[in-house]
Amino acid sequence: MKGALASRVAAVGFGAVFGFAISWGQFTDPDRLREMLLLEDPYLYLMMVTAVTLGFVGVRLLRRLRVRALLTGTPVAWTTTRPEPRHVAGAAIFGVGWAMTDSCPAPIAGQLAQGVAWSLFTIAGVLVGIGLFFRRQERSQANAR
Amino acid sequence: MTDPLVGDVLLTRPPFFVIGALLGLTVVGVLATLNQQLGALGGYSAVFERASGRTRALGWKAWFLLGIFAGALIFRLLAGGTTAGEGYGWLTRTFADDWVVGPLLLVGGALIGFGAKTAGGCTSGNGICGTALGSAASFVATATFMAVAVGVTFFIDLVIA
Repeated sequence: MKGALASRVAAVGFGAVFGFAISWGQFTDPDRLREMLLLEDPYLYLMMVTAVTLGFVGVRLLRRLRVRALLTGTPVAWTTTRPEPRHVAGAAIFGVGWAMTDSCPAPIAGQLAQGVAWSLFTIAGVLVGIGLFFRRQERSQANAR
Repeated sequence: MTDPLVGDVLLTRPPFFVIGALLGLTVVGVLATLNQQLGALGGYSAVFERASGRTRALGWKAWFLLGIFAGALIFRLLAGGTTAGEGYGWLTRTFADDWVVGPLLLVGGALIGFGAKTAGGCTSGNGICGTALGSAASFVATATFMAVAVGVTFFIDLVIA
């Protein structure tokens, strides 16, 4: 129980760093995102390259040093996935939604926290989309039986 | 009360590598602490799965999502202003009627939720975390959603012009 509480506190803490950072980087502003998607501003792309490079080196360092995760005590490990058609199809659908709303799952939570009531529509939409995904998945599983 | 100096610093966008470093270190920190791969979409999914009775326990990503909300709220309080713009970008500038903007955001959100769930992650889960971990599927997904989002944004720009 103590471990579960510590994990939740850690998850909230890391989320808070994430939410603070995307707000400071102005990813919560749809117009800023739009400028980046219109290729008028390279900020998003340079930020992502920095984050990915740092993450890439950091996680490999953890594995090389055989670090055990602080709260689980298990050796740091992760899984990778080979590309499948669903990754292209799903990402294409996601890309259309991203362009329409000039936002994505983390920034819409940041928008709500910053008082943008419009984000309630986007959040409701995300939950509807997740519901449709599960419905489709469960239907195809039922048909396969 | 907001310190004007703190407000000035926070309402000015820092160099890209500051935000990149914070997000990259979050990926490393979550792995080093929880041995988990982060993603914001997973937070919404965890809430949905718990609320619809698909799981009995609330997944850890729901707490991560709550943290994103809390972090943005702390930012807003410290900054004394928002970084979320006026109205809602091109949508409120193009459509005077709120009854058009709301449904468009709802549809856009549904495409985000369905698409990212199908692709196994969103901008954070695939674009930042999955790529940092070297997952080939995340590279393919990220290249796809970037290209499509750029293409559709140019198309919208053409239409509304």
